[in-house]
Amino acid sequence: MDLYPFFDWLDTSLLADISKAYGGVFAVVQMFHLLGISMLGGMVLVGDLRLLNIVMRDIPSEVVIENTHKWFNVALVIIVISGIFMSSAVALKLYYNTMFWAKMASLAAGVVFVYAIRRPLLKFDHATIKPTTLRMLAITSILIWFTVAASGRWIGFS
Amino acid sequence: MLNELLLKLARWLDSQSWSTSIHESIYLYSWIETTHVLTLMVFLGMLFVIDLRMLGAIFPNVPASTIAQRLDKPMMIGFVVMLITGFLLYYAIPVRTTQSLWFRIKVVLLIAAGINAFLFRAKMQASSDSWDLDPVPPKRIRIGAALSLALWAGVVITGRTIAYDWFDCHKQLPYFMYWAAGCVDEMAALP
Repeated sequence: MDLYPFFDWLDTSLLADISKAYGGVFAVVQMFHLLGISMLGGMVLVGDLRLLNIVMRDIPSEVVIENTHKWFNVALVIIVISGIFMSSAVALKLYYNTMFWAKMASLAAGVVFVYAIRRPLLKFDHATIKPTTLRMLAITSILIWFTVAASGRWIGFS
Repeated sequence: MLNELLLKLARWLDSQSWSTSIHESIYLYSWIETTHVLTLMVFLGMLFVIDLRMLGAIFPNVPASTIAQRLDKPMMIGFVVMLITGFLLYYAIPVRTTQSLWFRIKVVLLIAAGINAFLFRAKMQASSDSWDLDPVPPKRIRIGAALSLALWAGVVITGRTIAYDWFDCHKQLPYFMYWAAGCVDEMAALP
């Protein structure tokens, strides 16, 4: 499946008109993207470090996971919306950028991991899940999301 | 006076070979910057959880002081990493950064955020007994938390805009802007 038509369309869309013409608007949207990353990373880390028994050991991990997941969703929405706007400014360049596709691949892996694996699994009583499984979940989650963020930053360097 | 002094310091740092080495490295500078940005998730991420609790938006059933205490250490670890990588980024490009209006605003906002955090901590220690278990803390605490989020958001955006050259010294700027950015030579060249 070639997504070129989508990037071609995005490159000349109304979004692109705005993101290409106004550097200030772009910078502000980028700020929301960065704040969204911080929020998403914070929620992932607090939940995963709890599963690893590193922080907030005196608070039930079910409570930590439940509370952080809500704001994870908010952060992801902020990141995706601001991300689409930012990519409209350089849509065709991104289409030919390997790092961009690395990021999209890891992002897709992250979304599938969160909503199809981590979330359904952690709905059970955590005491009934093997400690090793919980630890594996946490480490995988941290690795995936740091990869998404790092490959995102490297789009700018490549 | 201060502008001249800061520029002198920056030029001295700039003359050191390590500064040039980081600046001209193929990957080191990028990795320092990547670490700086990724650590946002540790420092600002923890801060988000704490401040959202103080706003009554997360962990309503967990005492506010518990959240603040348990996340203090990971947050400070993140802060120290940001400080070290941030200094290295400054050290790699000292002159341009010193003369960056954005960097200067960022430092002011950092100091303001620091003062706010210090006052917030004092306010919390003095009064948390009375509202620690409340799902939504009192108004003055919520204002402090909102201020904290706004100031750190300001630090992030001004940090990001350092990369833009809109108000760099080589641009045509009014005298006031040259002064604010510390463009000493450009100020002297103005008629």
